[in-house]
Amino acid sequence: MSSLPPAIILISGALVLPLLPRRARSLAFLFFPLLAWAVVGTLEEGSSLTLRFLTFELVPLRVDRLSRAFGYVFVVIAFLGGVYGYHLEDTGQQMAALVYAGSSLGVVFAGDFFTLFVYWEIMAVASAYLIFARRADRSRAAGFRYLIVHLFGGNVLLAGILWQYVETGSILFNGPAGGPGAYLILLSFAINAAIPPLHAWLVDSYPEGTVTGSVFLSAFTTKTAVYVLARGFAGWEILTVTGAIMALYGVIFAFMENDIRRVLAYHIVSQVGYMVAGVGLGTEVAINGSTAHAFAHILYKGLLFMGAGAVLYSTGKSKMSELGGLAQSLPWVLSLYMAGALSISAFPLFSGFVSKSLVVHSAELDHRVVMVLLLNLASVGTFLSIALKVPYFTWFGPDRSIETRPVPWNMYAGMMLAAGINIAIGIYPHLLYRVMPFPVAYKPYTAAHLLETLQLLAFTGFAFWLVIDTIHVERKITLDLDWFYRKPAPAIFQLTVVSLDRLFAVTELAALNFAHRLSQACANPAEFAARWISRSTDGSDERRGDRVFYDPNRHRPPIGFIVWVVLCCFVVLLAWSLFVI
Amino acid sequence: MRRPPVALVPGGFVVAAMADAWFLAGEHHGEFWWSDVYGFFSLLGFFGSLAIMLIAKVVVGPWLQRGEDYYHGSNPP
Repeated sequence: MSSLPPAIILISGALVLPLLPRRARSLAFLFFPLLAWAVVGTLEEGSSLTLRFLTFELVPLRVDRLSRAFGYVFVVIAFLGGVYGYHLEDTGQQMAALVYAGSSLGVVFAGDFFTLFVYWEIMAVASAYLIFARRADRSRAAGFRYLIVHLFGGNVLLAGILWQYVETGSILFNGPAGGPGAYLILLSFAINAAIPPLHAWLVDSYPEGTVTGSVFLSAFTTKTAVYVLARGFAGWEILTVTGAIMALYGVIFAFMENDIRRVLAYHIVSQVGYMVAGVGLGTEVAINGSTAHAFAHILYKGLLFMGAGAVLYSTGKSKMSELGGLAQSLPWVLSLYMAGALSISAFPLFSGFVSKSLVVHSAELDHRVVMVLLLNLASVGTFLSIALKVPYFTWFGPDRSIETRPVPWNMYAGMMLAAGINIAIGIYPHLLYRVMPFPVAYKPYTAAHLLETLQLLAFTGFAFWLVIDTIHVERKITLDLDWFYRKPAPAIFQLTVVSLDRLFAVTELAALNFAHRLSQACANPAEFAARWISRSTDGSDERRGDRVFYDPNRHRPPIGFIVWVVLCCFVVLLAWSLFVI
Repeated sequence: MRRPPVALVPGGFVVAAMADAWFLAGEHHGEFWWSDVYGFFSLLGFFGSLAIMLIAKVVVGPWLQRGEDYYHGSNPP
């Protein structure tokens, strides 16, 4: 049995990668997730690794069924992303992807807050690179906003950890804790989980990532947040409420979007809502449901971003208003995308059917009427946008005779593998259920569940078909809560950077002028005084050169005056010593 | 794409309700009031999707949608 933190393998891999010949790097990239998979498989349940650092006892490895379930799916998506991005020649992107996957593994196996915080910050920086790497103005701006939000989240996390440490004297990351420290930690986790109103960073940045980068982005940040919420805040009622709301919020905003990857990003918010709601319920069934749904979601959302990325790669476009009629030129991309679309829609025989229903089932067991209705409604919205609207306007719809370039074989391979795993999980749910934190007794394939799902989806499709002529995709964006920091950004920039810069410049000039005058005054006080008196009496300026200001023979004081001043000083000193002291 | 005849809608509900009645008759399969309403999920799917489209396009859309260059110039240099 191993006690090697799997994070080390991927992060070391990222360091080794640039030392290898360029042509070997993509192949080597695949080796590290495979090795990490083997290590995760050998980690014994209940095992841990402890290290002493100053006066702290760190636990960089803590293994239980919850962390291992997330560990498995993280290495799987890292491998699938590696296959999908096999054609990449951008070593920086490959390194960032490995570091991002590795640090995410570090978070899920961290047993103390210090380790968690370090990996949390590495995760933020590595993921930001995958946005910057697209090298477009929009990506650069989105990447900076992403980084600012996550560095803020990191600081909130650090503040919470310190507060908790002062209160409890422990930095171990265990069950729910109370107090302001716990609320700060919850806030930072909520930022990464994209819980509204803290979600806008996700839909702002993920669509701006590189084709491969967005596949990785869709997998790690929000799911590590779900993991830490499940680990530290299971049963917190506020999560149940916000989870159910965000499930519906995401689908409504997704339906208005024009860019395919923004549609998918909003559906991350929606799907994470199911997981957060399950964590909020906090029962064993609900934690199983959240974990199962996170597992399946990573796989099908990765597949959907791969499909959208293949369209972007092939056409250079990702907006539905500019796409259409691609069914002839990209039929395989459509088929594989649809595997992801049916998975996220919880269609029978696909992964979402066996994972999403576990969350809804846990809400039913808890008698949450409104929550069950909201989650079912969110399911309707998911099918509507992802499986109907996007395919219709991208692959069917008006044919715009778009020129396409061939999609590399490895992108198809990555999508096929992801689709295969989604279908395998849908057909054999025990493949998923066996790695869940608690034993699963739930049976998804019952007549009632099948009928419910088929009716829900069929009549959603029917309604879409009825109103399809009235639905248009427009070249518009939808304002979200990022408006509150994007719109005032120029004014804030003006106030904090430009105005301050001007203030510094004026102060610097004044200081230099003062120093210059002072040096003149010290060098020749008589000349300085003559010039000053001359300026103040007749307003003339020596810089204009209109007259001579200083004539040593006229302005220099006579020697008798100097003697008189010295004598006066002497008399004053004498008087002071005689009468005062 | 050609729109289906609207008359199919009530027909569809009837078929869905009959399917529920056929497979689930006499079986208590849920926790809530709708568990025993045959065809409930067909109604939820149909009206729920119409509601989502309506809210998105008619209620929220006009209020929050802007041109693509709305944020143009909002990025600090």
